[in-house]
Amino acid sequence: MPSADLFLQYIVAGMMLGALYTVMALGITFIYSIMKMINWSMGEFYMIGSYLQYIFVIYVLGVKYWYLGVLVSAVSVFILGCILEPVVIRPMFGGFVERRTEYATVVTIALMLALRSAAYVLGGPYQRNPQTNLPRLTLGELTIPGERAVAFAGAIIAIALFYGFLRFTWFGLALRAAAQNRVAIQTAGVNIRRLDQLAFGIGVALAGVAGALLAPVFLVYPTNGAITTMKGFEIIIIAGLGSIPGALLGGLILGLVEALCSVLLSPGFQHAYGFLLVLALLLVRPYGLFGEREREV
Amino acid sequence: MRLQQRIWYVALVAAAVGVAAAIPWRASDYFVHVSVSVLYYVILASSWNLLAGYTGPFSLAHHAFAAFGGYTAALLVLRLAVPSIAAILVAAMLTAGVGLVLGFATLRMRAIYLAIATWAFAETFRLVIVAAYPITRGSVGLIVPPLFATRDPRPYYWIFLALSLLTLGAIWLLIRSRYGLYLQAVRDDEVRAESLGIDTTRWKIFGFALSSLLAGVAGACYGFYVSVLSPETIEFYEMGKIIVMVIIGGIGTFFGPVLGALIVQGLSEYFREFGQLRMLFFGVAVIILMRTYRQGSVALIRQLWARFYPPAKRLALRLRASQRAN
Repeated sequence: MPSADLFLQYIVAGMMLGALYTVMALGITFIYSIMKMINWSMGEFYMIGSYLQYIFVIYVLGVKYWYLGVLVSAVSVFILGCILEPVVIRPMFGGFVERRTEYATVVTIALMLALRSAAYVLGGPYQRNPQTNLPRLTLGELTIPGERAVAFAGAIIAIALFYGFLRFTWFGLALRAAAQNRVAIQTAGVNIRRLDQLAFGIGVALAGVAGALLAPVFLVYPTNGAITTMKGFEIIIIAGLGSIPGALLGGLILGLVEALCSVLLSPGFQHAYGFLLVLALLLVRPYGLFGEREREV
Repeated sequence: MRLQQRIWYVALVAAAVGVAAAIPWRASDYFVHVSVSVLYYVILASSWNLLAGYTGPFSLAHHAFAAFGGYTAALLVLRLAVPSIAAILVAAMLTAGVGLVLGFATLRMRAIYLAIATWAFAETFRLVIVAAYPITRGSVGLIVPPLFATRDPRPYYWIFLALSLLTLGAIWLLIRSRYGLYLQAVRDDEVRAESLGIDTTRWKIFGFALSSLLAGVAGACYGFYVSVLSPETIEFYEMGKIIVMVIIGGIGTFFGPVLGALIVQGLSEYFREFGQLRMLFFGVAVIILMRTYRQGSVALIRQLWARFYPPAKRLALRLRASQRAN
């Protein structure tokens, strides 16, 4: 039996990472609830966010202003998303596309391959590390690396901002309405194409924030988005597609289960426990914890 | 189809197979080696197309299933001293079993869950292979004993030619059978298929398990050919390559994946020195293709054929006229 300290250490670390995976899952589920498509290139926007953070910290702002880097990266990824959406995704809603899911899947996967290869071509396969000036935190008996604690805090702020935006602004109201009914909102005079663009931008910006915050923890390289995206998808299956409170709880559950299994079983297989949890859950509740019990056919 | 036309088709296919089987006698080792990898991707792309193009749901773990087959067969031979042929068969069965479990878990709900769950499966499988170093030798790579004593790629070429002909023949027979029509009915209109008494969930699971099985066989055989397995083959890059092949060839067409595998793998080999730039090019090409001409190159060839070959042109015109009448 591992010691109580180690136990607590793992649980705290697991919950902290869980919050960042939740940010990723929120981005995926948000884009799905508005546009009814999965953006498979989320991990690449995470990757772009982390590269931007690296560039801003190392070449422009300096280590002291790394927190400004997070902000600038997030805004840049948002703008990039807003530019890419009309070019790549919007034709999905044109008249000529017969099978939308197929179109969206293929196009976002192609986008993912293109972005990933572009990162290889421009930056090479090297692992880079944007430094931070954070000390290690001590909480009682525990020591937590400063960048992890800050990433956790950043994730909480991002989630709070996202929630506030949805809850208290006109655009948030419009987006929630679009999630309910895409046709009805057009009869209310809202330009759904603009809303799609905004939703895609916000969704990928969430991935970009996660990337910028985790850049000093998991380092920066062309495929660094893969693991975080996988966690995001696992949370979505646990939660049920399109459910935002479910994603919050799902992130918590995933972080906890991974931490507990790592302590009790073997830390080497940390990334596998989440999938086993997902599989077990799917066999019992095929529509997730919060998913609607409907069949989309 | 008229008898005369049918004879022409059979003759054409027989000639193509004859030429393909004769390649190793004339070509260099390198050319045969590239051809083996083309045939491997023909199997993967065709079997993925069976699911995505003919049945509807997407799997994003086709490359992982191939790697699963490869690792299972190799480990059976290495650790349990099972004969290679038996190992390949067992590996194929196990791959289909994994497909059945995943399909049963996800396909009872929306089909999109299959795509998400298979993505998570592929990524998890890669990380497990890396983590289970004592068994799989992790990122170092697992050395697989070859099937034959020589390093000559020719025997493998014939094996893969036979295997891909078998696969293509099976898919051809399936999509023209009653069961193939069930699959296509599920793709075209699931509610209507359900209302006509087709158990759509069961056929989706069947399509998924069958395509996983084919990937498992191909992966197991390919593992013995390349003789070293590494987690790199489970990178999403591989899956992307399969999708690019199917899209460039033409999704939902029989010859599309074959043509696509030939084009993409051929170009990849030819432009080898460009490295990652190739995938950037293919990604952009697919985005442009999806926006402009999503039927792929098989449809393009058909259209060109119809334009330059007068009898076919007349036939096409007649077809179009009859479609307008409907």
